[in-house]
Amino acid sequence: MNSAATAALTSWNLDGPVSAVLLLLCAIYVRGWRRERLLIHRQSDSLRLTGFLSGVFVLFVAVESPLDSFDGTYLAAHMAQHLLLMMVAPPLILLSHPVLPLLKGLPKSFVKEGLGPFLTWRPLRSFLEWLTAPLVAWLLFVASTIVWHLPYCYELALGSRVWHGAQHASFFWTGIVFWWFIVEPGPGKSRWPRWAGIPYLLTADIVNTALSAIFVFSGRVLYPSYAAVHLTRAQTLSDQTLGGLIMWVPGEIIYLIPAFFLTMRVLTGSKRQGEYIVRQARATRAGRRSLAANLARWRRPIQLAMLLVSLLVIADGFWGPQITPINLAGILPWIHWRGLSVLSLLFLGNLFCMACPFTFVRDLGRKVMPARLRWPRQLRNKWTPALLFLLYLWSYEAFGVWDSPWITAWIIAGYFGAALVVDGLFRGASFCKYVCPIGQFNFISSLISPREVAIKSPQVCRSCQTYDCIRGNEQTHGCELYLFQPKKSGNLDCTFCLDCVKACPHGNIDLVSITPAQTLTADPYRSSIGRLSSRTDLAVLVLLFVFGAFVNAAGMVAPVVMREHAWHASLGMDAMPWIVGAFVLVGAVLVPAMAVSAAGFLSKISWRGRKVGTIVRRFVFALVPIGFGMWAAHILYHLATGWNAPWPALARALAGTAAAVALPAVPSWLTPLQILTLNAGLLLTLWVLWKVATESAGQVRAAVALVWPWMAVSVGLYAAGVWVLFQPMQMRGMMH
Amino acid sequence: MRIAAGLLIVISCACLLSGDGGSLVARKQTGPFVISVFAADAPVRAGKADLSVMVQQVSDESPVMDATVMLRLTKATGSAVTEVAAPATHAKATNKTLYAAQLTIPSEGAWRLSADVAANGTNAEATADLNVMPPAPPAERYWPYIALIPFAVFLFAFNRWLRRRRQFLTPRARP
Repeated sequence: MNSAATAALTSWNLDGPVSAVLLLLCAIYVRGWRRERLLIHRQSDSLRLTGFLSGVFVLFVAVESPLDSFDGTYLAAHMAQHLLLMMVAPPLILLSHPVLPLLKGLPKSFVKEGLGPFLTWRPLRSFLEWLTAPLVAWLLFVASTIVWHLPYCYELALGSRVWHGAQHASFFWTGIVFWWFIVEPGPGKSRWPRWAGIPYLLTADIVNTALSAIFVFSGRVLYPSYAAVHLTRAQTLSDQTLGGLIMWVPGEIIYLIPAFFLTMRVLTGSKRQGEYIVRQARATRAGRRSLAANLARWRRPIQLAMLLVSLLVIADGFWGPQITPINLAGILPWIHWRGLSVLSLLFLGNLFCMACPFTFVRDLGRKVMPARLRWPRQLRNKWTPALLFLLYLWSYEAFGVWDSPWITAWIIAGYFGAALVVDGLFRGASFCKYVCPIGQFNFISSLISPREVAIKSPQVCRSCQTYDCIRGNEQTHGCELYLFQPKKSGNLDCTFCLDCVKACPHGNIDLVSITPAQTLTADPYRSSIGRLSSRTDLAVLVLLFVFGAFVNAAGMVAPVVMREHAWHASLGMDAMPWIVGAFVLVGAVLVPAMAVSAAGFLSKISWRGRKVGTIVRRFVFALVPIGFGMWAAHILYHLATGWNAPWPALARALAGTAAAVALPAVPSWLTPLQILTLNAGLLLTLWVLWKVATESAGQVRAAVALVWPWMAVSVGLYAAGVWVLFQPMQMRGMMH
Repeated sequence: MRIAAGLLIVISCACLLSGDGGSLVARKQTGPFVISVFAADAPVRAGKADLSVMVQQVSDESPVMDATVMLRLTKATGSAVTEVAAPATHAKATNKTLYAAQLTIPSEGAWRLSADVAANGTNAEATADLNVMPPAPPAERYWPYIALIPFAVFLFAFNRWLRRRRQFLTPRARP
């Protein structure tokens, strides 16, 4: 094979987001297919799965393969791409009967609450039934084929990404509606007789043949863009002829095969076989170990691994070169540990606290330390960690903590010492509950996690006499954060240590799937926490968490950094900590205080009889999702730009070899992903606010009057977040 | 309902179906080669610009794969001349028969684009005038993502309205 041919075959236009969406679609289908199969077993199950996966693969080939790279250069490549989009991918996907598996693959509550009202809305159903009616589907398919091949429309698509996307989308979607009548993927039957499919296919084939013939026999160049690429008119025409033949011959075969089978079915009078076996639901799940039990088994090994990494980071921070990009203490804690913690919070739960190396050392220390004292009553609240969190926000930028491996090593070593001393002297997990600012960050963030440590059956708990989950037993101690499972709601104060899972003799505690942030919509009494609306300390901590996200990110974007440096230059050498301090104080304390006070007063106008403080405490927790969205968007930026930064530092620390330092690069998908993350945060916040308001006010009109100031605060935060994301941001752990 | 569900769910594929639309900005036949320069985005804007070069043999239109290609942009402002240059390579191109480079154009205005090609002991050059537009503001580039918010709010409001309507229309069972 010559080099040009090799180059052509390796010209894959791989696009991360597109591949991710296709994989997600496959994952949803497979999940739903497996769930459906647990209940009903059909002979054609494997064929359906194969159909869907191959249909998606064809879609992948059409939009990501060299066909896509060459569609602007060769008409033949473009015609092959269109053939896959219109005539191969749609029937394969429809052959898999995708409707039920895709619905079953999605979260049940989302399908019921989110999609349900749309799916049962009569006008939409009528419209879609009209769309898939044979005559309409045929006309749409044929019109799409003809219109997009008119020279003006085709040239429009070649010259614009947007129109090109529209062209491909219309080919695929008209393909879906066209093949719907032939495949009949839904359980309902068409009102048209089966034999109508034969003229349906043959007439579409006639149109396709006529169009192909124009390409092959017209003798003139139809699309000038290809003439600009080819050197001679003859070469352009030869490419055009090949394109026409691709459309003609394989296209004709694709129409004729189903027409042949339909004819056979009509002639023999055979019907579809529908043998299936109804299975006993969930029979195969019996005896399977729960996710929580699996995680609990692995907790100690993971903690040990984290401890070893921490020791390595501390050693490198103290004795390694004080150059951030080649020192593990400059990279791993600030880029990877934070990034991976956020990802785990987003997709599972508070895994960092589960794998916490500090509590591992604490547990070892307790073998010799008494831990008999009770934590002072005055300190049994969140004021201490709130102050520590504010201190972190300030010192992180004021002293360039992220840029000093030595300080980082001291912080980590200090953490080990503090956990050992506090929990070595005091009972329970006082350090986690009342001191650790990282723990508070994780507790608050895990309010939007999709999993919660919770009971599976309340009936089992009602019949329980021993309460091992909180009291403990001979094998293990109970919850050290005093969370009594039957009264626990949400992930607040839960370290995912899974001691309760190990302690429960009934196996009634697991990592249960929940709707993210749903726990914030209600205000029940929570074990060891009380009602959120009565906790001023927690409300303040949440405000610091939310506004701190924006302050922390803004502190490293170009306009803010330049302004700080300008003040630094005019105020003197030692002024930087004061400048950053003022920035943090204004952004994380004054602005939130003013914003929530104003929102509280405005809400009070329509919610009389309530104090402003009560209103603020009731609504402020709804801001957690947008705060987490900003933290995630910001921290993922550092993870995406510095994911490969540890290798040179590891090579130096472990092998003593000097490796090339990672160069900064911002992938093109990053800003869209950050905006989408922030979007998700805002939408969740708006949803929680709406639920809280409707629950409090009862009627829609009153709820709107109550909630609009809080929605305005959320939208203001979102606008600030988008502004920050649009600015050039400092990269961490890299050479600049 | 299932027809509705099927079509709604598969709509999630819509975002997948996008194409690329490189525009021809220069083309010249010099010696044994034909040199074509494409810009990934039209119009070309100040900031990062993706440019790619196709080098073909005049004799049979086959692509020349072993050329050395240098892309150069120059702009004369009074007596000062600003130049931006970068080697174009197969590695940076999606279509591996092309040579691509990413140049950072510092300002808008009239620039002179030249693609210098050396292959088989022969040097060739294609030049063209390039009108570079001001950089697009981020909001212009990313507005579709931001527009998702009002769209999602609309869908939510519609969802609530449908649910309330259904509750209103559903006859309650008599006690």
